[in-house]
Amino acid sequence: MSLAAETAAKPATSAHAIEAVSLGRRYGDVVAAESVSFSVAKGEFFALLGPNGAGKTTVMHMLTTLVQPTSGSASVMGHDVVRDAEKVRRQLGMVFQDPALDERLTAKENLDIHAVLYGIPRAQRAPAVQQALTWASLAEVGQRRVRAFSGGMKRRLELSRAIMHGPRVLFLDEPTIGLDPQGRRHLWERIAALREDGMTVLMTTHYMPEAEACDRVGIIDKGKLVEIGAPREIIAKHPGAKTLEDAFLKLTGRAFRDEEATAHELVVNFGKRGGEHTR
Amino acid sequence: MTNTGGVLPGRATSEATGLSTIFGIAPAVVYVMWRREMVRYLRDRSQLWGGLSRTLLWLVVLGFGLGAALREIEGYTYGQYILPGVITLNVLFASLQCAIALVWDREVGLLREVMVSPAPILSVTLGKLLGGASISVIQGTIPLLFLPIVFIPPGASPFDPGVLVTAFQVSVDAVAILQAWVVMFFMGIFMTALGVIIASRLKTYEGFGAISNGVIQPLYFLSGSIFPLRGVIGGVGFMEIPEAIRDELRRIGIFAIGGGWVVQLPTWLQAIVYSNPVTYQLDMLRFVLLDFEQMPLTADLLVTFALPPVAAVIAAWSMANMLKSK
Repeated sequence: MSLAAETAAKPATSAHAIEAVSLGRRYGDVVAAESVSFSVAKGEFFALLGPNGAGKTTVMHMLTTLVQPTSGSASVMGHDVVRDAEKVRRQLGMVFQDPALDERLTAKENLDIHAVLYGIPRAQRAPAVQQALTWASLAEVGQRRVRAFSGGMKRRLELSRAIMHGPRVLFLDEPTIGLDPQGRRHLWERIAALREDGMTVLMTTHYMPEAEACDRVGIIDKGKLVEIGAPREIIAKHPGAKTLEDAFLKLTGRAFRDEEATAHELVVNFGKRGGEHTR
Repeated sequence: MTNTGGVLPGRATSEATGLSTIFGIAPAVVYVMWRREMVRYLRDRSQLWGGLSRTLLWLVVLGFGLGAALREIEGYTYGQYILPGVITLNVLFASLQCAIALVWDREVGLLREVMVSPAPILSVTLGKLLGGASISVIQGTIPLLFLPIVFIPPGASPFDPGVLVTAFQVSVDAVAILQAWVVMFFMGIFMTALGVIIASRLKTYEGFGAISNGVIQPLYFLSGSIFPLRGVIGGVGFMEIPEAIRDELRRIGIFAIGGGWVVQLPTWLQAIVYSNPVTYQLDMLRFVLLDFEQMPLTADLLVTFALPPVAAVIAAWSMANMLKSK
């Protein structure tokens, strides 16, 4: 089935949690994403797979209203990401690739800010924060500053924060990067528990075992969606491929994807070298 | 009663977010973002020490060092002249440091979390600006504490309690301090907004040095902070005046008197200084603290109080567009 047919076969219905139609984004002459069309059903676990710099994060940022598309459209839980950005934001929970926490604040203070930003009524804030801390197994360190947290603790805190306001769709951008096997296992168990409650999850990754655990996978390369389907279907489609990784390499080639560091990476690296003042 | 459901006109509760707003501004969001800035500031002692060290170097060392040579500026000692300048320097550092943290915050900090939330961006920006302005007032108060020191008459011992009490009585006036805080606050809003506008255009961040050297120092040096823009300077001070007349003059607030020479800045320097908004804000500050101004007061008032709201609106717009166009 071609991509066009895939789109045509699944018209916009309320059964879809996420719907992207010829979504594209350019930065001047650089095309970060081009006519990306796919949909994610409610309760589905969907992975966007692709090499570094393929456009996964750009697509995710367009779906989460952080970046405006330059072509096409998208909706989350039936709300347009451009016209109804505020409603979309209310419906989604997001975990970024690098921790989006204030490291000078305590875990509790970070969660409290979240509660206010999402309009959780004053009386419910403290219980909601406590519940989130417990859910993240961080109840004992709630008063400690986040800068003293390990990567795993930060990720747990962020995941817990992302679901505090009861979102229907969860976006995870490379959620397992930098986690040890224990942290990874814990994260998967948490995600599994959320899915039992009907949460739709879209994540980006370039780890094959993670992608294979998803209901469906979309493979992005050079800004375009080159394949979509259940992992088993994708493997079957490519003769000679035994694993998703084989199929992935057949689709995206074996060449290295060396790119110049992005502005984001430059700032991250500056911080790792001991960047001053701002943390 | 209108159909707003018993709440005051202009008030609303966004259906989508549950955030209550007054004329589009969510007070809870403004407050929580302001509090965040304050907590961050209070936990970073280096800022407080930086403010103190700048005060000691500029006000005490330069003030008394250069003051020994430059006896007076329009009847004010050099220490008195430079004090509002040092306050301004601390405000510049405090507000720009607060604003530039945005670059960091956007890439690896809490800001992305804020941007993906339904919280209105105007309220988020307002919280940031109010935070930067509040920190500015606190940091600007450090040199302000030295106000009595610069009013100690030349030659009098600073360790004599009587001298200190007189200096305190002569210089400190509750109304003037309150007015100075108001000016510092507006200065803080303006500079934080300017910093936010700069930060939203910075793609990468390689340290505060570029901001310090490229923005803070030019604005500071070109604002009439350390050299007078016009008037009579120099003079012979109290040298030839008998002690009794000196006391008489001190009682009416004159600490130095005499002739000198007229300041004539080069035209190019004058042009730059006169087009620097900080010149007028600083002049306003000097006016409320020392009753001394070098610029037209109307211009001071306009720049000090009308420019910050305009800058704040541009800052909010810059914040909103920062991620969308990234």
